[in-house]
Amino acid sequence: MRSNGLINMISGLAFCLAPLAVTADGLPEGDEIARRINARDEGVAVSRTLTMELTDRRGKRRVRETRAFRKYYDAEKRTAIFYLEPKNIRDTAFLTYDYAGQAREDDQWLYLPAMRKVRRISASDRGDYFLGTDLTYEDIKLESRVSIEDYTRKTLGEDEVDGHHCLILESTAKTEQIARELGYSRLEQCVDDEIWMVRRAQMWDERGNRLKTVWFKDLRQVQGIWTQHVIEVINHKTRHQTRFTFSNVDYERGVDDDVFTQTALRRGL
Amino acid sequence: MIIIMLTCAPVQAFEWRSTTLASGNWAVDVEDARSQMLELALRPEVDLRFSNRSRLTAIARARVQTIDGLRPIDVDTDSYSPASRPALIGEDGELELRELYYERQWHGTHFTLGKQQVVWGKSDGLKVLDIVNPQSFRLFVLENFEDSRIPLWMFNVVRPMGDWDAQFIWIVDQTYHALPKFDATYALTSPRLVPSAPPGMKVEPSPVHRPNRVFQDSDAGVRLSGFWKGWDLSVNYLYQYQNLPVPYQFLESDGEGPYVRVSFEYERTHVMGASIGNAFGDWVVRGEFGYFSDRYFISTHPAHTHGIARSAEWAYVLGLDWSGLDDTFISAQIFQSGLLDAPRGVVRDELDTSLTFLVRRHFLNETLEAELLWIVGLNDDDGLVRSKVSYELADDLNIWLGADFFYGNRDGLYGQFTDNDRLIVGGELGF
Repeated sequence: MRSNGLINMISGLAFCLAPLAVTADGLPEGDEIARRINARDEGVAVSRTLTMELTDRRGKRRVRETRAFRKYYDAEKRTAIFYLEPKNIRDTAFLTYDYAGQAREDDQWLYLPAMRKVRRISASDRGDYFLGTDLTYEDIKLESRVSIEDYTRKTLGEDEVDGHHCLILESTAKTEQIARELGYSRLEQCVDDEIWMVRRAQMWDERGNRLKTVWFKDLRQVQGIWTQHVIEVINHKTRHQTRFTFSNVDYERGVDDDVFTQTALRRGL
Repeated sequence: MIIIMLTCAPVQAFEWRSTTLASGNWAVDVEDARSQMLELALRPEVDLRFSNRSRLTAIARARVQTIDGLRPIDVDTDSYSPASRPALIGEDGELELRELYYERQWHGTHFTLGKQQVVWGKSDGLKVLDIVNPQSFRLFVLENFEDSRIPLWMFNVVRPMGDWDAQFIWIVDQTYHALPKFDATYALTSPRLVPSAPPGMKVEPSPVHRPNRVFQDSDAGVRLSGFWKGWDLSVNYLYQYQNLPVPYQFLESDGEGPYVRVSFEYERTHVMGASIGNAFGDWVVRGEFGYFSDRYFISTHPAHTHGIARSAEWAYVLGLDWSGLDDTFISAQIFQSGLLDAPRGVVRDELDTSLTFLVRRHFLNETLEAELLWIVGLNDDDGLVRSKVSYELADDLNIWLGADFFYGNRDGLYGQFTDNDRLIVGGELGF
């Protein structure tokens, strides 16, 4: 497992030292930006507390507290989320095995305490919203990375977010089917070109209407790894908002393989 | 047993976590607008987590139900072992230790010891392999399984073996299905379940003979489950007393003439089963299969001693779930069971088929849920339609409105409750 982190570090270093593919304006090309984002070290395994605040258009607020775990097994990524609060959904848990590439569909399970059963769920609804939030299953899966296969990319220019210089990366869904699956026809992401992380993203739906804006805030290093601690989303269609806050982030402790099993979903934390 | 384990362990620091769910439900009979159910329940749960990563969990339930026919006193509790029987508080109240178990991992093996629920199988609404724990039929099948399932005292050991888990359970609790009394709201009257005497002849039920030897009458089972090439797989074996007693009928007479005495006995069976599940695009396929070596059925054939025929039985469920529409879940299942020995005169058909259809849709970022479930009994041309709308008013506060309609042949499993259609409103608060 350590080898995956080392490979990431070496890849990241190689990209830093290699000359950038640039546009006529001297800015990095879109694909180059995407590769640099994805080459960033994310750590082999991470555990963290994830607090989700969901606010509807009338200001009614719901808060969910979870413990989230993620681990890479070479190119495969496993994620487990265990709900701690509120009490009526405590012990609800979600597990996903994300396989690299499109050849094999991801596998997902949901544990509902009221049924005392682990339920297999369809993983093909990448564009469906994740458990009542304004982030999709695909957004959750990618975390701070970007999808390479689904979009064509172009660098539009430069901007500044929270005082940080950014490159504006435009991503357009390659096909209408992809746009329908993901729920996005186009994205504009402001990418911090010092740490290669997205600081702001705007999405347009499959009809080309502005759908949502996402801010990635409180980006700082934890145990040497750049980490986003706050994600804020506003859905312009529904005027619903989501805020994800990450705390107690730990890359060094490691995560047992047992956590990513159906048995762990059933037993809880 | 748990006390011994705890006192033998070195003293550990621990964390404490507690939750209480308070719920209320009011149901009104559709036909005559009378209250059918008025129930308040409290469900406290306490978790103690020790520094050696072991855990002690206790869940209790206190319930008050004031309407005749559904009160705690309207359920026959003779099927409970003394160690599991709920305590009655008057006629309307009940206090129950639902679960009390200690979990500990030791040399890679996970032990769960105490009163608990173990759920096998992949079906919804109806059961094939989810038979480790008995069930209370106080509300027939209208209660959530987590609430109607009766936890049992047992040893539950799970050993991971690579991508597979091997599970062994040993149940030392002789508790079986809790059935409503003859005058309860959901008293069973279907000829499939209740023998009938010739016209004019009275029926005298004898007290139920419940097995009560802790070791000789214990149940045991093993299960192997795993994930292989995208498939969720399991195989299991269970040796158990069947959860429904067999109603043997004896023709006797007294000073008033002949009568039928019904003697209820619990019988053993071997259960072998398997389950599968996988996802393909927007579809999820799941299934489970069970073989029961000895099943007992009410029979009208004179060759069958005491009105009971014995036969092996197979059963399966095949389910298809579809999530192709945003925020929508659609599911269909077929249940079939067949008698291998096909004895004549048995009151149920050799092949029995039921279907279920479920549509569930979320709205408003999953704060609002609407659900419609339809269960169809093809053999008796009867069924049950359930609808429910629930809304999350706030964190920890849910409310709901629902309706349950039974229809069809009054001799059928569902049609027997044709007069029990109801509207229900309720809520749950967590604190």
